[in-house]
Amino acid sequence: MTRLLKCSLACFIALTASGTVHAAAPVDAAFFEREVRPILQAHCFDCHGEDQAKNKLRLDTSVGILRGGESGEPLLVKGLSAESYLIKRVTSQNLKEVMPPKGKKLTAEQVGVLRAWIDAGAKVPGEAAAAASLRLKTDHWSFQPVKRPAVAQRGGEIDALVLAKLRAQGLTPSPAADRATLIRRVYLVMHGMPPTPQEVSEFVNDARPDAYARLVDRVLASPRYGERWARHWMDVVRYADSNGFETNRERKTAFHYRDYLIASLNADKPYDRFIKEQIAGDALGVDAATGFLVAGPHDIVKSPDINLTLMQRQDELADMVNTTGTAFLGLTMGCARCHNHKFDPILQRDYYAMQAVFAGVNHGERQLREKSEAHAQPALAALKTEEAALQKTLSALQEKAAASPATTTAAKSRPAVSALFNEEQFAPTEATAVKFTILASSGGQPCLDELEIYNDAGLNVALAAKGAKASASGTLPGYAIHKLEHLNDGQVGNARSWISDSGTGWVQIDFPTKARIQRIVWSRDREGKFSDRLATQYRIEAAVQPGQWHPIASSEDRQPRGAKPEGDAWLARLSAADATAARKAQADLVELKARMAKASVNGWAGRFSSQPERTHRLYRGEPMQKREVVAPDALTVLGTLGLAVEEPEQNRRVRLAEWIASAENPLTARVLVNRLWQYTFGTGLVDTPSDFGANGTRPTHPELLDWLADEFVQCGWSIKHMQRLILLSATFQQSSTPRADAAKVDADGRLLWRFPPRRLEAEAIRDSMLAVSGALDLKMGGPGFYLMEVVVENVMHYFPKEKFSPAEFRRMVYQFRIRQTTDSVFGSLDCPDGGSVMPKRSRSNTPLQALNLFNSSFITQQADFLAQRLRAEAGEAPEAQVALAFRLFYGRPPDAFEHRSSVAMIREHGGPSFARALFNTSEFLFVF
Amino acid sequence: MHPLLNRRNFLAHTATGLGGIALAQMLARDAHAAAGPIRPQVNPANPNAPRATHFPARAKRVLMIFCSGAVSQVDTFDYKPELIKRHGQPMPGAEGLVTFQGAQGNLNQSPWAFRPRGQSGKMVSDLVPHLGALADEMCFIHSLTGKTNTHGPGENFMATGYTLDGFPSMGAWTSYALGSENDTLPAYVAIPDPRGAPQSAGNFWGPGFLPAAFQGTDFNATQPLRNLARPAAFSAATDRATRDFIGVLNRHHLERFPGDSELAARISSYELAARMQLSVPEVADISSEPAHVLKLYGADQAGNPVKDLKAAYARNCILARRLVEKGVRFVQLFNGAYQTGGEGVSNWDGHKSLQPQYLKHGEVMDQPTAALLADLKQRGLLEDTLVVWCTEFGRMPTFQKGASGRDHNPNGFTAWLAGAGVKHGFSYGATDEFGYKAVENIATVYDFHATILDLLGLDHERLSFYHNGIERRLTDVHGHVIQAVLA
Repeated sequence: MTRLLKCSLACFIALTASGTVHAAAPVDAAFFEREVRPILQAHCFDCHGEDQAKNKLRLDTSVGILRGGESGEPLLVKGLSAESYLIKRVTSQNLKEVMPPKGKKLTAEQVGVLRAWIDAGAKVPGEAAAAASLRLKTDHWSFQPVKRPAVAQRGGEIDALVLAKLRAQGLTPSPAADRATLIRRVYLVMHGMPPTPQEVSEFVNDARPDAYARLVDRVLASPRYGERWARHWMDVVRYADSNGFETNRERKTAFHYRDYLIASLNADKPYDRFIKEQIAGDALGVDAATGFLVAGPHDIVKSPDINLTLMQRQDELADMVNTTGTAFLGLTMGCARCHNHKFDPILQRDYYAMQAVFAGVNHGERQLREKSEAHAQPALAALKTEEAALQKTLSALQEKAAASPATTTAAKSRPAVSALFNEEQFAPTEATAVKFTILASSGGQPCLDELEIYNDAGLNVALAAKGAKASASGTLPGYAIHKLEHLNDGQVGNARSWISDSGTGWVQIDFPTKARIQRIVWSRDREGKFSDRLATQYRIEAAVQPGQWHPIASSEDRQPRGAKPEGDAWLARLSAADATAARKAQADLVELKARMAKASVNGWAGRFSSQPERTHRLYRGEPMQKREVVAPDALTVLGTLGLAVEEPEQNRRVRLAEWIASAENPLTARVLVNRLWQYTFGTGLVDTPSDFGANGTRPTHPELLDWLADEFVQCGWSIKHMQRLILLSATFQQSSTPRADAAKVDADGRLLWRFPPRRLEAEAIRDSMLAVSGALDLKMGGPGFYLMEVVVENVMHYFPKEKFSPAEFRRMVYQFRIRQTTDSVFGSLDCPDGGSVMPKRSRSNTPLQALNLFNSSFITQQADFLAQRLRAEAGEAPEAQVALAFRLFYGRPPDAFEHRSSVAMIREHGGPSFARALFNTSEFLFVF
Repeated sequence: MHPLLNRRNFLAHTATGLGGIALAQMLARDAHAAAGPIRPQVNPANPNAPRATHFPARAKRVLMIFCSGAVSQVDTFDYKPELIKRHGQPMPGAEGLVTFQGAQGNLNQSPWAFRPRGQSGKMVSDLVPHLGALADEMCFIHSLTGKTNTHGPGENFMATGYTLDGFPSMGAWTSYALGSENDTLPAYVAIPDPRGAPQSAGNFWGPGFLPAAFQGTDFNATQPLRNLARPAAFSAATDRATRDFIGVLNRHHLERFPGDSELAARISSYELAARMQLSVPEVADISSEPAHVLKLYGADQAGNPVKDLKAAYARNCILARRLVEKGVRFVQLFNGAYQTGGEGVSNWDGHKSLQPQYLKHGEVMDQPTAALLADLKQRGLLEDTLVVWCTEFGRMPTFQKGASGRDHNPNGFTAWLAGAGVKHGFSYGATDEFGYKAVENIATVYDFHATILDLLGLDHERLSFYHNGIERRLTDVHGHVIQAVLA
């Protein structure tokens, strides 16, 4: 650059900065036309103009300039050219970034013009109109307000709206299904299990005009209903009982959320309340409901590498944002993590605004206050205080015991090691380093929560804060709470401890300067919660010169750990009164802990930070590429919550939940009624149930969807009310028999000219098998049952069970569902593992399914049970057994052909073979 | 300017002397690329029926050999004289470097010497001499880079293109795209190591969000396919009669639902299952293999735990060859397992004592894998089978501080391809002078996946499945076919 140019540019900028751009060139829209546009035209329009708008950026129109590109970067920050992406790109020194990528770069003078223009407010022609047109809006159908169509037939709206579509295609509906088919359909759809023969015959013979309405009421009132429909919701929110990723540990208390779902659905909890509880249940007295937020996979392997840790956290938050978006709003928010959404009116900024709502949410277990005995709540706080006091008393007494001279001089005179507190005293010795070598532990890799080394002035010289350095043979990887730096951080307790990476190990403290030491105190968990991993055999050495160790203490002269884990030997060193006090304190502590455990029920649910870190928009979603701070908010296109950047954590979620659960939100009700439709008819009116955006499909019956959505809100968000309407419709009650003429027009039956038959889901098939075999255990709630053998290691391993006992004969919603595993029988039936949200299941048909349903030990066992049941209930005659079996399986008697061939089957090959066959029949595995 | 000339790939091609035919192919593909996503049309009645490729394929099927635990590139295929020269010195520029398990010690040369192998003179270490002898068959990629240094996500990434759980594996994508050419065997078979499953096993051969029809079926030479055999409680005659009876009831029921393809498909799936009950045990039964074959693979060895293990893995290798022979579309063969011991005990995760652990793993993996490759070649199967050898990431050229092993390193690692459609005796890309970071022709796992799909005649940018709002791809929104490795 020539000196002259440098000078003129400097002058130009100086002028701009002072805000007094030379009078000849007022920086207004005319300035843009005269000075700026020619530059853009010459250098930018080829790629960012009318012909092609790379990265969706157009610089040839005012709208395009104000909008910027799809990266989400602010092209112009009015008044701040240095912050403007446009300037960053045209001045970049990085050859991959600098714009234009080919051809002549902008001269300094041209850049100066752009800067001056931006610094003076970046005026463009027709700015007001352009800005107005840019105010994010959309004409996409699902963002428009719900419009209840006027329907003449009151009470028959669903049928009227379905019929209108059928007629438009020249189609007619099918006649009503017979009662036996209908009751079986209602039970399979609503309960996921067939009706009993008695229930069938009662309904078939019920002559009252409202027999069917009564049936629907009965079905909706049954607890089996909540079990069935909770399972659907668990697909939508990627529920599972393990963490996923490589360690895939169990979440033994996640079931509280599952039980919450079942209870809520059975109680017909209003859906708006249901939403609010799942997002912010901690504010509504339902902690368990927040299991929703943390039901997804979660990587617990952490690395010292900060990039990875930050990315893991971003992935966790993305899981929450995405699941909230898809489950409640039918919006794929996750697509806007790296750039503005390519199809929907969702800005990248919106994604981070919603991320800010969840910024304080963490995975883990928490106390479920509603389940922890209500009256015990205040008491629990008191118990904690009491516990601390007792602990203090005990520690004082232990110190006293340690300080008192030994009563015997026997070799093993010192008390056994204690998890709580151990002291080593020795003649003052000079040292620059102390090494603590653990030769054996009470079990597992040894743990130290703190190692204190006192000099002759009584100061702890091991503290990192005093310049001491800790090293170790190795540290158990992957745990933030177990780190080497915790050894000498002055903080005690398991959560601030070091654990070796093997069954033995050493730690070493190097002092900054030579010290004269005489006492060492160490412990495994001074908070008294853990007593495993205790160093039982050890030696402690000191050195002045590196490597020249000499012993100063060891476990040699300690008594072995006795039957009583903490050992009472130390009590002998106390006065009688003190010993009594210590014994009492110990006993009180045991009793207190039992009381505390009883008062507290823990569950896998949201854990909330009091004040989360600020959320930034991340350029391309990269954690290290922080951009502007983003306040918690909802979607720009649908309004704003008006929250502050520092909004209290809980309020963020409360406000988002209220916004989602509002009658004005155009998406919420539509998405839910569509799910109800989908799980009833097999396909939703919108067949992309968690994507109501532009990339999803449009509803087959938009008026019907809106009618249902409006009715849902009007009735007070009652799910059962909506289901009653659907079940009572003639549309639902149609026969499923195919008609060639109609199939020609609408093969999939999306227009509902019949009830579309479909294969049942894995859970419904297993539940139905157990129901008909008589093995089913209807115990509700509580910890799930395992279909896997578990091998516990750092990384968990799961192997499919081959033998099943009654504990596993509960409904499959109570299965302990483990990510990355598929059940050996039912996995092949498209049973999801909770690895990702599954709003719509595939319905595969494979030979493996046939093999599993034909040969697995589960099936042969159930076949035996069924054969026994048939004999027990119908007697030895094959004819009677066949009659009962058909009623159990299909809710109807066999026809003559079926009867004949079935009886022959039992006669020739026995009851179990007959039973094995029935489990494999299409009529049993499908709903018709 | 011709649009083709915009493509940096084109320049790479002209530099390597690309012929006119390949150019025509590229033009044909460009015409394709202009179009939208391709969702294979799957007939629910026969989900594994063969389906058309997007363009002519070079490989009909894939054998993927996955070594679990992260094989060290600097102890096997990535020869670094500078590492040997600077053995025991700190790695320049690595002060304060923190990797997965923590701080780094000094550069450490491999305990195994490297020697030139074959015509190509490729330097391969003495840890894998049998594989080294086949270096002329291999097409090495030395510049692979990953996104994570943790095993689970790393294995997810190599298996599914995503570090997260819940995505379909490459084999599932392949069977979804292409179906199978053998209707009596599964389209996609995973052969777990005799020691157990790798980390994230479910994701390795899982269907993710694809229909369960496309998941891998797992069995090996010792663990038969689950639920394949007739239950002991039923005689063969009863079993047959029961199956017939199911057919009778289902066909009788179908009369009430004429033309229902889902119901008809169920009936045929039982017939297919019956055929599988014959064909799977047959293909898994390697007792018919002659002695010289068992010897070639090392399947006849025994006498100590390592040899037993080697023989068991060798039997899996023979099974892999038999499946390839039968036209199974995607065979995934595993070496190493987390299940019976992580941190290098049963897998390649040599953090603390690399030499003794790798001695064992090398012994187990080398000869059988080499025999598999040689056997495929000898039978002409490499003509239309792509062999892929890979691992989740690489290892450090340094030893961990205070230990005698190497920490995780996703910044530069090695995989090799062999067989249909790829160059042989060829090396692509390079790491720096120590083998730490890829510096030349840096390739991502996305590129690796894109290349494998390309060899199968599939455009990775178009093969898609709609899930939850997104047209999902194996390669997400990334990936470029590594044209330079294509023959």
